[in-house]
Amino acid sequence: MIKARGITKLYKIPHERRTTLFETLLGYVKNQLSYEDLYALQDVSFEIRRGEMVGLIGKNGSGKTTLLKILSRIVLPTHGTFTIEGRVSPLLSLSVGFHGELTALENLYLYGAILGLSRKTVRQKINTIFEFAGLERFEDMKLKNFSSGMIARLAFAIMVQTDSDVLLVDEIFAVGDKDFKPKCIAVFEEYKKMGKTIIFASHDLDTIAEYCDRTILLHEGKIEMFGKTKKVLEYYKTI
Amino acid sequence: MKKISRYLNVIYELSRLDFKLKYYGSVLGLFWSFLKPFFMLAILYVVFYEFLKVNIENYQIYLLLGIVIWNFFADATKDSMQSIMAKAPLLQKINLPPFAVVASTIIHSFWTFLITLVAFFVLFFVSGSQLAWSAFIFLYLIVLLVALIFGTSFLVVPLYMRFKDFGHIWDIFLQMLFWATPLVYQYSLVPEKYLRWYLLNPVARIVVDARNAILYHFTPEPKQLLITTAVIAVIFFIGLAVFKKYGRTLIEEL
Repeated sequence: MIKARGITKLYKIPHERRTTLFETLLGYVKNQLSYEDLYALQDVSFEIRRGEMVGLIGKNGSGKTTLLKILSRIVLPTHGTFTIEGRVSPLLSLSVGFHGELTALENLYLYGAILGLSRKTVRQKINTIFEFAGLERFEDMKLKNFSSGMIARLAFAIMVQTDSDVLLVDEIFAVGDKDFKPKCIAVFEEYKKMGKTIIFASHDLDTIAEYCDRTILLHEGKIEMFGKTKKVLEYYKTI
Repeated sequence: MKKISRYLNVIYELSRLDFKLKYYGSVLGLFWSFLKPFFMLAILYVVFYEFLKVNIENYQIYLLLGIVIWNFFADATKDSMQSIMAKAPLLQKINLPPFAVVASTIIHSFWTFLITLVAFFVLFFVSGSQLAWSAFIFLYLIVLLVALIFGTSFLVVPLYMRFKDFGHIWDIFLQMLFWATPLVYQYSLVPEKYLRWYLLNPVARIVVDARNAILYHFTPEPKQLLITTAVIAVIFFIGLAVFKKYGRTLIEEL
């Protein structure tokens, strides 16, 4: 179960970005440090039951990614609290933990560690991972020679090995080819059957309509609507 | 427990990555780790021994021990700043403690330090020197040095993340500290009136004690060692507090 209470994220955007010590000191002397307040999220509260698959929609900049980052504990909320039962696995961006100079296999160890998998676990699952990614012959190839689709497949293949209860997914199918998306969806369907909770942020309304029980609509950092997917999507199309 | 083993695993893999990347595609590979301190040794030796006629027995050994300790401190703190910047995209997208990145960098530097230390001891024995029981205190000094490096990195990394020009400031500071540490000259040459400030430099304290323990076969006074430990403990815990408070939020703003 996920419970969020009044989550607010405030970004202070300096009118003039000061990145050096010199500029900052100068700014203090001139007393000119002014900021623009930008609320990426404002008083967001919701509850998600165990085993639910919830869609997260909204225009660009409405706060979808920020919300997922906060729930993944990558970003700290300015105000508000939340609780998540069970282990959380953020799938916010494929391939970010990869390194081009390492081989596919070495990358799996590294990325596995970042995702919380021990070297031993990764070693046991290597065949499964490469098979799922359809990259059996490329184990020892340097990642810089991979296409972006191949990298995405590899990343997804290892991500799904993490044994977590909650998945936070942010628009990760955009990179793969047409065979990749159904493969991902199949995994999510299986997860749903296993009783895992999934939050799925996407602009792909058809997929959301098909798989999500309920959907959150974010608008300018606030929850505009949270309810049955069909209703929310109908409303979303009118604005 | 599970969390700790996960962090350790991440730290291990990241330092492996650093190691592979550093030596990948370089012909001499690991050998560079030896070359750098030895070139530094050669330059300083010629200038100070041949030109300035420094009168220190076994000067090359004297110099090299200082250089090995100094390079560990200087390289590890500089690398921590760079590695957090290099891994910022990762930290912004994955729930990875910034601490793990700093720790993995320092561990990587630590291996380099050990390798050069081995080279030092080879030279040490070849030149006919011998160790005494006092050498055991060196192990404790290494622990202090690592703690000092962690503490210092915890302080400078957030500063570097916030202020891009802090890298230059740290370079200048390191250069100052290099000369404020008895690396090429004897500590006894420092005038009395500077001594109070001079001895605040924990690197200087470690270098002096290490030389005494290894080259001159006597252990530091317990009181002095306690002061060194206290100074480093203060730096370590202030650093830890600063890093804990600002590490995360600064990464968001990079």
